[in-house]
Amino acid sequence: MAYSDKVLDHYNNPRNVGSLDKGSDKVGTGVVGAPECGDVMKLQIEVEGDTIVDAKFKTFGCGSAIASSSLATEWIKGKTIDEALAINNTQIVAELALPPVKIHCSVLAEDAIKAAVSDFKAKRAEEASKHTEGAQQ
Amino acid sequence: MEIDVAEPERSQAACERCGRPLESTVACLECGALLRTDEEDPFRAFGIERAFEVDAKLLRKKLLKLQRATHPDFFATQGEAEREAAERATSSLNAAFEILSDDLRRADWLVSAQGGPSRDDERQMPQAFLMEVMEWNEVLEEARDGGTGDPNALATLTSDLDAARTTELAGLERDLTPLPAAGDERLRTVRRRLNALRYIDRALGEIGTLTR
Repeated sequence: MAYSDKVLDHYNNPRNVGSLDKGSDKVGTGVVGAPECGDVMKLQIEVEGDTIVDAKFKTFGCGSAIASSSLATEWIKGKTIDEALAINNTQIVAELALPPVKIHCSVLAEDAIKAAVSDFKAKRAEEASKHTEGAQQ
Repeated sequence: MEIDVAEPERSQAACERCGRPLESTVACLECGALLRTDEEDPFRAFGIERAFEVDAKLLRKKLLKLQRATHPDFFATQGEAEREAAERATSSLNAAFEILSDDLRRADWLVSAQGGPSRDDERQMPQAFLMEVMEWNEVLEEARDGGTGDPNALATLTSDLDAARTTELAGLERDLTPLPAAGDERLRTVRRRLNALRYIDRALGEIGTLTR
């Protein structure tokens, strides 16, 4: 199977590879995987207010999975978390010209964004409840 | 076990040719008649009780017996329809054997057959597990790149993965005995175990290619 130029570009020159501080209150971490191929993808976002100011990923998987997550981090940087949640896997498929057998890679990237956002929201909610408790004391 | 309630009717079915009770859904072992079958149940094909635990010796014995009854060579002098039927019977027998003789494939088949979640229904694994998979991959990546870190990292990972595999396999047996009925949470647990085993086996396979 031939990869599209855009997949090859992201594969050879992935954007935003790396890690953010998982323990930070501002950072949301999402890890997702595809059991059938064993691919795993970790995507992290750093949020200021409601805006994603930084995003990093680490993916173990095929070229399409790497490209999908690389593209996802590129797209969500600078967006609000709600805008990031609106990103759909079909947009990734279209941008990278993924063939049908690789659509699950784009689903993985979409799931990773959602997992990272939900981790961040959970942290924020926990933080908020701590503050309320603190205020009550 | 609900299965036992529904099963007797089946096993009492008689061969249309010789009238004797049928043991297998593929062929009559008494008279050798091939049964026109679209039976997908490997346990019925072999005439054994549907359960996770399978007696490997009995399975082999049944395979030989059924292979003898269905081998296309024995139908060489007969009409084309009979030969084709023999070929179909042989291939469904082989497919059934593949499932029955493999713990993972048997468990996979049983979860679906018992009305549990399909592979697509139950894909996501807990974050903590996926983090572990990330860590395995990091060890593997380092080993691939020549390994600057802990020289025993690969050996440690192998023994961790072997231990995890043993735990999950034991879990499969425990969660599938007695067979859970549809809606039983154990079927979901088994699906998760099967997912975990796929990640584990993939990592072990990777180690295999690295250390060869």
